[in-house]
Amino acid sequence: MNTLTLYFRREWQLMFRNTSSLIQPLTFFIIIALLFPFSLPAENALLQRIGGGVIWVSAVLATLLSLESMFHSDYHDGTLEQMLIHPRSLPLAMLGKALAHWTATGLVLSLFSPVLCLTFNIPSDQIWVLFAGLLLGTPSLTLIGAIGAALTVTLRRGGVLIAIIILPLYIPILIFGAGMLTQATQGLDVTSQLYALAAILTLALTLSPFAIAGALRVTIN
Amino acid sequence: MVLINSVFCKTKVNLTLMPSTQAISAKNLSCTRGDKLLFENLNFSIVSGECLHVTGENGSGKTSLLRIIAGINRSETGELVWNNENALVNLSFFAACAYIAHKDGLKNELTAIENLRYYQQLESNNSNSDQNEEALDEALDRLKILQCADLSAQQLSFGQRRRLAFARLLVSNFSLWILDEPFTGIDKNGRALIEELCVEHLEKGGVIILTHHQSLIDSPINAYRKELKLSELDGS
Repeated sequence: MNTLTLYFRREWQLMFRNTSSLIQPLTFFIIIALLFPFSLPAENALLQRIGGGVIWVSAVLATLLSLESMFHSDYHDGTLEQMLIHPRSLPLAMLGKALAHWTATGLVLSLFSPVLCLTFNIPSDQIWVLFAGLLLGTPSLTLIGAIGAALTVTLRRGGVLIAIIILPLYIPILIFGAGMLTQATQGLDVTSQLYALAAILTLALTLSPFAIAGALRVTIN
Repeated sequence: MVLINSVFCKTKVNLTLMPSTQAISAKNLSCTRGDKLLFENLNFSIVSGECLHVTGENGSGKTSLLRIIAGINRSETGELVWNNENALVNLSFFAACAYIAHKDGLKNELTAIENLRYYQQLESNNSNSDQNEEALDEALDRLKILQCADLSAQQLSFGQRRRLAFARLLVSNFSLWILDEPFTGIDKNGRALIEELCVEHLEKGGVIILTHHQSLIDSPINAYRKELKLSELDGS
């Protein structure tokens, strides 16, 4: 079995045995996003205007929440050491792990986002724009975030540090992702933003696995 | 040629033969933790059928040395040579090397056999699932934990977890076993079993590097043993 498939399957198996890792990010995402309609004036126009941004920020925070645990158990039970010394490609293993993590967090959030769009009265023709943006943006969030998770794996409370390291790197994704919906609201073409998100994803897919592997080697040494 | 003796033939597990001679040597290794120099100018050399027993006081750097040999940590000086090549840039070294440490590398969420299957899939290219499953059962049976095969690793006792970690050595063909305190938490019978596995491995031409804080003079491993004593340095 190739390295990517092996680690992807293993991560899925572990996540299904530990369902809290699947439920927590989604629940957090929904709660954060729902707090805004409750705390703001009940004006359809206002909710529509901020809806896309709120959903994107919620997705970023939910992804951050899930990242802290990404390598935590692997580090504590010794699996990570075994991965480091195995002749199989560590970057490929990390890519498999990150993709599995994304399917359990980013993909689920993206699939659930149309439901949240309804609470913000986002018109149905703009829902797909947000959905497509999240589908392209969330894998980048996970892959870039995994670098921060790898750098802080040995720290007891690395979550805050991950946020400090990684949030600035999320800004371009947030600008293009949330900007797509603003463009769509104004009836403008969103193709350029989609391309920009796709370009970031391509960079993340090709470079992050090496950065994650390098970060782990430095941190564990 | 690999020596196949009667002891080796007792097990059906992992009959893949190893190359005839394996050799590992270290030249001028050193290790510092924080401000403390643990060891410097450390040299050793062992070949097939030999066991390097690393001894020393607590904090003298035994585990650090094993982690350097396994490739997890880097030595500040010197080099590690595996079969006449620099070990740490040589993929065949990592393919030949198994590291069993205090952290057992087992997932609580998975059953004993699932944990073992993962390591088998990681190492093996054999796609015959019947043969693979048979090898897993045999390895668990050999370590006397077959009855725990379907229990999650979380439900296993510490000793059973250690045995499961050692079962990993039987489902893959590692030439070099690096064992950090292999007898910790294991009962008398378990210790005898692991000693027996070590002797079989050495008889087959394998190499073992282990740490153990007690004497191995009464152990069957003693016949194959070379000692490397790490003494505490006052360096800073």
